[in-house]
Amino acid sequence: MSNEVDEIMKRIQSYKGVVGTIVVTSEGIPIKTTLDNTTTVQYAGLVSHLADKARSVVRDLDPTNDLTFLRVKSKKHEIMVAPDKDFKIITVQYPAE
Amino acid sequence: MPSPNIIKKVSGKTAPVLRSRISTRQFRFSKDGTEDGSSHDLQQWLKRKQSVWPTDNLNPFVDKEQVEEISLNLFVGDPQLPDNLVEFSFKERAFVPVIFHDQSLILLENEGTCLHIESQEAKELTAAVSSISTEVIEEKEPSDEIVETINESLKNCEEEESADEIDDDEIKDIKDEKDAIAKQSTLGKTKKLMNQFNFCERATITYSNFLKNTGTQTKPPIRMTFSNYATQWIIYDSYQENYEMQEREKEKGKREKSTVLIKKEDFQKKFVTDRNDVMNTNMIKKLLILERMINQNIFDDILQDFRYYEDPSDEFQNSTGTLLPLWKFQFQEIKKLSVTDIKWNPRYFDLFGVSFGTFDFQKQSSNGCFCLWSLKNPSYPDFVTYTQSGVMSLDFHISRPYLVVVGLHNGTVAVYDFRFNSKSPIYQSNHVDNKHCGIVWQVQWGEDLTDGEMIFYSVSSDGSVFNWILMQNYLSLTSIITLYNKPEPNSLLINEENNQLKDCGMCIALHPTDHLLFLIGTEEGYIYKCSTAYLATYLFTYEAHHMPVHRLDYNKYSPNIFASCSADWSIKIWEDNRKEPLFVFDTASSVADVKWAPYSSTVLAAVCFDCKTYVFDLNVDKYKAICVQTICSKKFNKLTKLAFNWKLPVIVVGDDKGISSVLKLSPNLRIKPRVTKKQQGVDLNELEIIKLEKLLSLIREPTEKSKSIIIQSSDSTSI
Repeated sequence: MSNEVDEIMKRIQSYKGVVGTIVVTSEGIPIKTTLDNTTTVQYAGLVSHLADKARSVVRDLDPTNDLTFLRVKSKKHEIMVAPDKDFKIITVQYPAE
Repeated sequence: MPSPNIIKKVSGKTAPVLRSRISTRQFRFSKDGTEDGSSHDLQQWLKRKQSVWPTDNLNPFVDKEQVEEISLNLFVGDPQLPDNLVEFSFKERAFVPVIFHDQSLILLENEGTCLHIESQEAKELTAAVSSISTEVIEEKEPSDEIVETINESLKNCEEEESADEIDDDEIKDIKDEKDAIAKQSTLGKTKKLMNQFNFCERATITYSNFLKNTGTQTKPPIRMTFSNYATQWIIYDSYQENYEMQEREKEKGKREKSTVLIKKEDFQKKFVTDRNDVMNTNMIKKLLILERMINQNIFDDILQDFRYYEDPSDEFQNSTGTLLPLWKFQFQEIKKLSVTDIKWNPRYFDLFGVSFGTFDFQKQSSNGCFCLWSLKNPSYPDFVTYTQSGVMSLDFHISRPYLVVVGLHNGTVAVYDFRFNSKSPIYQSNHVDNKHCGIVWQVQWGEDLTDGEMIFYSVSSDGSVFNWILMQNYLSLTSIITLYNKPEPNSLLINEENNQLKDCGMCIALHPTDHLLFLIGTEEGYIYKCSTAYLATYLFTYEAHHMPVHRLDYNKYSPNIFASCSADWSIKIWEDNRKEPLFVFDTASSVADVKWAPYSSTVLAAVCFDCKTYVFDLNVDKYKAICVQTICSKKFNKLTKLAFNWKLPVIVVGDDKGISSVLKLSPNLRIKPRVTKKQQGVDLNELEIIKLEKLLSLIREPTEKSKSIIIQSSDSTSI
């Protein structure tokens, strides 16, 4: 991964409320993470499935369409997924209080 | 069928058959006798119509010979039948010989009654028959009858014989025979057997077609279970992929014809790097989206304000408005530089460019920078470009929003294309001779030339205005005008070149409709109206200010009206070719920037060094600003630049600490013209112009009457 990507990831990590960022391959294997091991594995497994399903929904409705972003807002935090063909970027952010 | 079998059969069943034969014959003859000529068919069949037999029995053997039957045994056996036929057995997986159990078909089974008279069997048979016949004679009919019939037949024979010419010998033989038979018959023991010559059995075997069975065993196809999950989009994708592949192959075919093949290795290498690049750019794109989303969460309250908050106090305040501060854009790495120019992107309303440099001549930093910020991401600029010298001005191309021209502190200009590479310019002026000798205070894109080349103008403190043309691979420079200090109006400049000091251009404003005209503001406070068509003269000179002119801006609705601001604490509004300003507004500090609002013909905003932002609506108040608001701390900061968004009711204000603040205009600051009953159906643009004209007509009259009347803001005096 290029410097620029690292730079942006570092920047994202520095933002308020950001807990961690995970980069996951299309198979759901985490390749880069700022979270601890168990959390990473859990998030990678669960969220990538959800993102796949979400993409499937969008594309089933209209095959020319595609999913660009997925946000899951929960009571405690927000999970954001930026899906791509080869990878997914998952970020967990606690809302500003 | 083997032959002995037949014979056996024959021999086994001769006795009754023979008997029946004889009886039939008897019947025939008797019929012949009785019905004589009446039954023709029968006679014909017998072929003995004419034969007349003597009454006395002379030669009974002739008939005997004729009646005698010959047996021809035809054996059933197929010579063509192969004896080594094999067949593949799937069960044993080997060839197995085929055994024919039965090669023939019995179509008709007819029991034969023929025996060779001289054969052993026949003799036995006759013997047997004789023994039986005696019994029969005893039981049923007397042998006389038989004898009679024989005699009759002999008679017939003799008749035939007589008809034919027969050798004596033969007759003799026959006679002998006859005698013998007669003897036998008289004895009742000898039995007449069939003649071997007048009877035959025929059978033919036709070729029998071979029946062939051919079979092959192949390897059974590999079986496997395949299951997949197909949705509409998976199907769509695979079709799309297929289509793309076809297209690629088509192209490939074309390319192969026209060009030499690229080496495969090179291609593969290229492919790998390409893939990495694509992956990287994709990832960056996604990360940027993510960043925006995180920022959206962080600045959620500000976003809500930006979108929905309208100051409710405006209703109760009499025509005054407020500015609501929203985001603050600050780039951490260039804290020391001040904002030197702000421009909104003409296509993306949430994107604006900010240039960073310094106005302080003493503290020149060695580098400058300009950033493109998006309202969607206030934390970090979308693009950052560093330059060798402080950036003093920038401008977006109006029809190509990806092109940015910047003017630097060191006198050079550069053009950046943000589509490809935001780090290095696509055009840059020469560092030695093809540049300004002073600070480039302002750059502005002009109307494209007729042959499609893009041009921009730059104004510098060295007193010259340059026109730059973007050629194929370099910037072509044309000097438009050189400014001289305190020239007489409409005088020829060239003649006075030697004894004139050059004036420093500070700002430029291109006429919105007439592309030849432009205004130049100078450090001495003059505003020159120039034309690219007449290089040597000023079309008009406004003795506008006493201090450097910081900004000139044409009204967005009426091209005859423009505003100027200066370090002499004043903002002035001018009409074309009128020496005196229409309006003069005095502030308590040096005015850094003034801009007309894009949404109204009478609204303009200005920023001052004392951190105040002024918003005027001439239609509401001709004498003072309807909003004066301090944006930042007066002690440390100075406001430097200002820009109206062309779509949203926000302005950006830059200060000398490198912070750009976005402010939302309250409803009182953006009042739309009221539509009267007469004006219904009139375009909004028209309404704005009407509004401005109405206002101006009020102003013009007193100025025409006496030049001295100048409308001033109530609380301050000019210096």
